[in-house]
Amino acid sequence: MSEKIKNKRIKIEDITNLPLELESQKKASQEKIGSVSEGKLKLYNQQKKNVDRFRELLSEKITRQLASSMVACVHCGMCAESCHYSLTRPDDPKMTPVYKADQIRRIFKKHIDWTGRVFPKWVKARSPVDDQDLNHLKNIVFGTCSACRRCTFNCPMGVETALLIRFARGILTDLGIVPEGVFNVSRDQWETGNQMAVTEEDYLDTLDWMKEELQEELDIPDIDIPIDKEDCDFMYTINPREIKFDPRSISHAAKIFHFAGEKWTMPKWGWDQTNFGLFSGDDRLGAYVAKNVYEAAVRLRAKRIVISECGHGYRSTRWEGYNWAEYDQNIPTESVILTLMRYIQKGMIKVDPAKNPEPVTFHDSCNLARSGDLLEAPRWVLDKVCTDYREMFPNRRENFCCTGGGGLLSMAEYRPLRLEVAKVKAEQLEATGAKLVCTICHNCVDGLTDLIKHYKLDMKVVQILELVSNSMVIRMP
Amino acid sequence: MSDLLRILENEFQIIAISFLIFVYILRIVWLFRFKSSKEKTYPEGNAKAGIAYSMLNVAMPWTMETTRKKHFFYIQFVLFHLGVTLAIGATFIIPYWPHLFEIKAIVWIFQFIVGVAFIVGLFRLYRRLADASIRLISSWDDYFSLILMILYFAVAFLAIPINYQRSEWPLILFFALTAFFLIYVPFSKIGHYLYYPFTRFFLGRTMGHRGVFAKKKKNRSTEGL
Amino acid sequence: MPDLEVKGKKIELSQEGFLYNPQEWDDDVARALAKAEEGIEDMSEDHWTVINYIREYFLEKNLAPMVRKVCKNTGFPLKYIFELFPSGPAKGACKVAGLPKPDGCV
Repeated sequence: MSEKIKNKRIKIEDITNLPLELESQKKASQEKIGSVSEGKLKLYNQQKKNVDRFRELLSEKITRQLASSMVACVHCGMCAESCHYSLTRPDDPKMTPVYKADQIRRIFKKHIDWTGRVFPKWVKARSPVDDQDLNHLKNIVFGTCSACRRCTFNCPMGVETALLIRFARGILTDLGIVPEGVFNVSRDQWETGNQMAVTEEDYLDTLDWMKEELQEELDIPDIDIPIDKEDCDFMYTINPREIKFDPRSISHAAKIFHFAGEKWTMPKWGWDQTNFGLFSGDDRLGAYVAKNVYEAAVRLRAKRIVISECGHGYRSTRWEGYNWAEYDQNIPTESVILTLMRYIQKGMIKVDPAKNPEPVTFHDSCNLARSGDLLEAPRWVLDKVCTDYREMFPNRRENFCCTGGGGLLSMAEYRPLRLEVAKVKAEQLEATGAKLVCTICHNCVDGLTDLIKHYKLDMKVVQILELVSNSMVIRMP
Repeated sequence: MSDLLRILENEFQIIAISFLIFVYILRIVWLFRFKSSKEKTYPEGNAKAGIAYSMLNVAMPWTMETTRKKHFFYIQFVLFHLGVTLAIGATFIIPYWPHLFEIKAIVWIFQFIVGVAFIVGLFRLYRRLADASIRLISSWDDYFSLILMILYFAVAFLAIPINYQRSEWPLILFFALTAFFLIYVPFSKIGHYLYYPFTRFFLGRTMGHRGVFAKKKKNRSTEGL
Repeated sequence: MPDLEVKGKKIELSQEGFLYNPQEWDDDVARALAKAEEGIEDMSEDHWTVINYIREYFLEKNLAPMVRKVCKNTGFPLKYIFELFPSGPAKGACKVAGLPKPDGCV
């Protein structure tokens, strides 16, 4: 591996000195877009006392769970062994999870904790003094952590470093101190209800197109992608990336649902199951987007919500969203992987593993394995649809991030560092000897594709819908 | 026994320990004053089982990659904390059940563990100073607490055989240090054991509820149909 | 990221291999991008049809077109687009067409 590709080592100063002011914020301010004037989307304002506001927000937003993670760390340094940043850059002391979390912890200590308030120097408590300090913090919490939560599972104290990172991101988002990509995607999700600004017309047109292509391909005139149909067994929600750039996954899903005899629908509004609020730390955006999905299901009287392949979308819609929106869950919400599992278990679709003979390995997405609950189901399905399955090590809740998690794929400025620390992942992938790496997360697809290209691995990324669709045995009447 | 030592072993310890309990109660009240969040989702696993698993995590080194791979570090951790427990135990045994330390074997076991903990402490101090990433995150409190522990182990080692006739100094030092600890601990990192149940509870509750920790519900894929 | 050299001129690329200044694009830059980023040695007529459409759409709306629009206007089926540009419409075709990186999870 190391002979194949020599990484240019990234200077950390290159990312910690990135500017505060953003072109896209200036533009949003000139155009007076709705989400800005309604106070949902925040812009950076040099005139404001951002440092004071940061402290206020810290006190307002902190929860018991976060406060205990603030006080519990004993600086043992064990987390350094679990983080792909510190493992790839062992001689860079600023890459350890504890260092990153300490940048927030020290502000908490200075203002809220006891000892730090009286003897700040004794416990390294320190408050940010100007906007540049906040900018520095921004580049640490957005740029040097993919919030994969791996360190938490390796922390003897159970300190939730990834949640502390998200907490700091949320406060900075409230001050408009964010990377450009985070701002743009948040803007689109606030403004259009989906993270890629797909219009309703384009959405419906693309679904219609997929339907026609399927009808033609399979020569079945009644195969359908139903929109806004009421009283269905489930409502299918997707990642806007599927609509905008690669709708093949929608077509695979529609094909499988058709042969399973499923009564399903897609909503006209509330179809985006992704949620940038998870990455930006903005619970209000998180609540808004998740609620769109929950309300769509109520409107259509769907019996359950099915989420297409997506790690952060699953975590947000299945778990965090209900809590952000303070919305009592009223119907089951599941990943499409469980739907597929049910179809195969109950014999609703027939699959033939011989149709996928290439060696396949599975990459557990952080948000599904460490922050979700999907460890065995994807393996169960893969076992049924492929002949040569190879486990990746470490795996399940110990797997390494695709290194593009935590919204990092949308933050181009941190990409060189992201790819440098992806070395751990590249080695892990290569060791499996597989030709295909399957993941059930769109974000991981791009994260892995990026690093496969960078490290020149002989591998291709696939998703499970594609493999299942491929393995289906269709008996025409 | 001198009056100084008698007061130090008894009344003084009781005052110090009362102070510790008082501060701890304040500390817990303080933690409880932060708002808590409510779970709105259907469970996939069992929160209680998750909490139990999470609390016991530290006793299951095979469940964490770091402890599974780094045996030496884990053994150090166990010995260090066993040393702490025995040293604290000694502060109760000496004034209230001194006859226990008339048994040579018990004295030796105590001395051995506390002695090993002393060596581990020195090793940890070395690690904290030598490793650049740990040095970067270390505060004065981290160093002071560790040095204090090392001293405490040394003094405990000397005090445990209870030998008033030869010299009272090891005992006086031991109890003076104990009293200082009781007062300093709640304000320092040494008080982490008070927070352990909190962080572990929250992590266990979330992960248990989601079915990541401990056992999962069976037949999940047909649930709700 | 190494910059692109096209006929002695240095073209600045963003961290992800997208053009830093979309106005610097021309046919030669497209050929160089296709080779460097997508491994396309020779741009076929069909490649150009896709690229030109995306380019026109971008110049008009300052936005990457949906893949639906690309297929509709070029008359190519979706599968063929992925054959032409292995990295897909977003990271493949849009990049060669000199667009900045699209926002979102891509």
